[in-house]
Amino acid sequence: MTGLSDAELIAAVLAGDIDSFSGLVRRYQDTCTRFAVRMLGSRVDADDALQSAFMRAFRGLRSCKDPDHFGGWLYQIVVNECRTYASRQRRRELRFPPAAEAIERAVAPGSEDEAERDVGGHIERALSMLPSEQREAFLLKHVEELTYEEIAAMTGVSVPALKMRVKRACDGLRDLLEGVYHG
Amino acid sequence: MAENYDEKAQADDAAFADRVAESLRAPERAHPSFEKRLMDKVRMEGPALYPVRASSNASWWRTQRVFRLSPLTGLAMAAGISAIIALGGIAVGSRMSARSQGSSRTAQATTPRDTVQLVRFVFVDPGAASVALVGDFNEWTRGATELKRSGAPGVWAVSVALTPGRHEYAFIINGSRWVADPLAVKSSDDFGTESSVIRVGTPAKSET
Repeated sequence: MTGLSDAELIAAVLAGDIDSFSGLVRRYQDTCTRFAVRMLGSRVDADDALQSAFMRAFRGLRSCKDPDHFGGWLYQIVVNECRTYASRQRRRELRFPPAAEAIERAVAPGSEDEAERDVGGHIERALSMLPSEQREAFLLKHVEELTYEEIAAMTGVSVPALKMRVKRACDGLRDLLEGVYHG
Repeated sequence: MAENYDEKAQADDAAFADRVAESLRAPERAHPSFEKRLMDKVRMEGPALYPVRASSNASWWRTQRVFRLSPLTGLAMAAGISAIIALGGIAVGSRMSARSQGSSRTAQATTPRDTVQLVRFVFVDPGAASVALVGDFNEWTRGATELKRSGAPGVWAVSVALTPGRHEYAFIINGSRWVADPLAVKSSDDFGTESSVIRVGTPAKSET
């Protein structure tokens, strides 16, 4: 199963061998999980979003016009699904805003040793405090390492607008991580 | 503002972002049960969406008595017949403000690209307990577009707003049986399962 190409697995599914979809799930679930966890800051939400995204991909498999590039097509669905979940998170936070001191505690470093150990945690928490469109642009550009042109094709956002989002994300992270990084 | 974001600033941000992103690039694993939970759902829905191809479509179609109707013959010939009917004269603007159009053929040929056209899908099967419509316009989602009983016994219908262009569709009967219109243009998809094709807002022409 794993030796088959994406296009071969898709052809098998469309011909009625729906178990072949598991080959695509296995191939892409971890990559998509990284983006979703970073984007949503919650493994539970990321898992929900990816279950939904993979099901949308399965249902719409017939509309994947370029099966050899299934990964990019799937990623587009994942990005959109994470936007939906991020929007739900925003609504949730509007109703139940986190206390200001909790935010400060979340990003402010403690002792040097503690900061050393938990730099990754600080970064993730700072990332989670960026507006979702900035977080998405930052992750796609610097973590998934896509080009601006690839991101633009995937999100429908213009390259200049994406560059501005990434810049604002960097500015925001600098502020939030002051004391952790001096960049 | 974007034009002020010069190359040096971009390079500084890139260096900073690279340091920040380093820990974020660490691999993540999906939950161990992720695949099983997903495939359970896939196996529930899959057979209706991607059925194994029948070995004898012709006789099966005769059994189902599925035909395509022109808009003029319409429901008058409905008993035992399924059809799609493009309803000209109804167009909805891109902001969904209704406005009237001309005759059926004229409206289809001249519909601007920023409008959608209401297309009526009719399926007739007195034995059906439910009829759903799936297509690229609803991401092939079963249950997204259900046909309702309409008029004569066994007649099911639904109207769907479609953007101009080519659309693929099929019916799902009783939640599991995939039915494409045998007399409509077939999907050009090479992956096996047949779907039907409708063109909206473009002049009628043959397609292979």
